[in-house]
Amino acid sequence: MSESCETVKMGHSVPDFTLNCYDPKAHDFRPVTLAEQKKAGKWTILFFYPADFTFV
Amino acid sequence: MGATLITVSTDTEFTHLAWKRDEKELADVKYLMGSDVNGKVSRLFGVWDEDSGLALRGTFIIAPDGTLFNAEVNFFNMGRNVDELMRKFKANIYLAKKADEGCPSKWKEEGDKTLRPGPEMVGKVHEALND
Repeated sequence: MSESCETVKMGHSVPDFTLNCYDPKAHDFRPVTLAEQKKAGKWTILFFYPADFTFV
Repeated sequence: MGATLITVSTDTEFTHLAWKRDEKELADVKYLMGSDVNGKVSRLFGVWDEDSGLALRGTFIIAPDGTLFNAEVNFFNMGRNVDELMRKFKANIYLAKKADEGCPSKWKEEGDKTLRPGPEMVGKVHEALND
């Protein structure tokens, strides 16, 4: 298994990732990366859920 | 609080738009809705469920320097509580500034009692919490 498949550990640095997002404020689509979050000095909260059209 | 909330599922960003548009519960949503169609990011955080190809209900807090500070994973049928999340998030922000302190279980917000581990506290946590 390559290193990129490993699960990130608590207290460790999270490898960069990209998520293609729908941004309701801009009503537009855009990619968001962890790198740009770090550059902006912002905290990131990821909130995973199984599927749209279900409860969260 | 200078944080970016991104919700993530294996749906596309286009499905996110359609869901946001159709579901009245989401009318006021302002957070980013991320797409993890290939499950890459879900795998990275250990919430990928091979059998269903879906992500478990995981919440992760990442500091501005990229460090993973908090992880919580609920099974498919348990919803999350925003108050629980906010308590942890506030504690993470506080502890990022004061790494030598600890936020005990009853800590709710800045100003509440914290603990400073050291020789004097060994066997005296009760006194430290109640003094």
